[in-house]
Amino acid sequence: MPAARPEKDDHELLALIQEGSHHAFAELVQRHTERFYRLAYRYVQNKETAEDIVQDAFLRLWENPANWQPERNSKFTTWFYRIVVNLCLDWQKKKRPVALDEAMPLVDDRETADEAMIRIQEQRLLEKEIAVLPERQRTALNLCFDEGLSNQEAAEVMGVNLKALQSLIMRAKTTLKERMKGYL
Amino acid sequence: MSDRQNEKLDAILRSRRVDSAGSDLAQRIILKAQSLPQNQTVSFRQWLKQLFAEFHLPRPAYVFACTLILGFIVGFTAPLNTTTANDSNADQVQGFLYADEAIL
Repeated sequence: MPAARPEKDDHELLALIQEGSHHAFAELVQRHTERFYRLAYRYVQNKETAEDIVQDAFLRLWENPANWQPERNSKFTTWFYRIVVNLCLDWQKKKRPVALDEAMPLVDDRETADEAMIRIQEQRLLEKEIAVLPERQRTALNLCFDEGLSNQEAAEVMGVNLKALQSLIMRAKTTLKERMKGYL
Repeated sequence: MSDRQNEKLDAILRSRRVDSAGSDLAQRIILKAQSLPQNQTVSFRQWLKQLFAEFHLPRPAYVFACTLILGFIVGFTAPLNTTTANDSNADQVQGFLYADEAIL
């Protein structure tokens, strides 16, 4: 029985995309769409817009594959996070203020109605407060808490050093704790 | 701020909700890309790299070629009427001999 073909890593796929391979592009998109969508959603709080941003980011990569330069970018995801974050920030500059009035019905079956209500309120308030944080603090929180990046990776995405990133997270959390006193 | 508050905030931050993406999002992106041409403009740096890749020579060949080029440059830029100390001595000797002949 022939051995299974090993999966190509991101860098190999990108090299093939630069040669015009649709198959490699499809593989890369399928591999990473979900994670970049999640990040975009954190910024825009809207499914359609987040999908549009991710689509835009990937199509830019397809149209201008030479933008990826492996010798300058250590990791594809780090580089692409930066692209997605920039697109989200551009979108927010055009579309402020962010609408956060939609209901957020995240209800766990095991929760009582009261608990669920408190939880929804907590989440609404949190999203509202995160939306008004300074841009860099928001990005640091999104990358570290939602995307599960290490501080070092998040610092690379943001182009800052580790201490600066830790300071951004600390300030963001201090502000959030202050503003969410009633819920903590 | 107490540790309890910290932990609670971290927990809330980690449980933030995300509307899941449409199941066909990746497929839509792939289909859309199929109708888009790639922009193949390459930067000067990349063009140079590709050029060198075309003429892939072993390193000693580069060294040999560079030495040859350097030799030509030095050779062509040196003035043609350079004289050495020996040359000027020879001129003097010849001058002396011709002077004698002139007297004769």
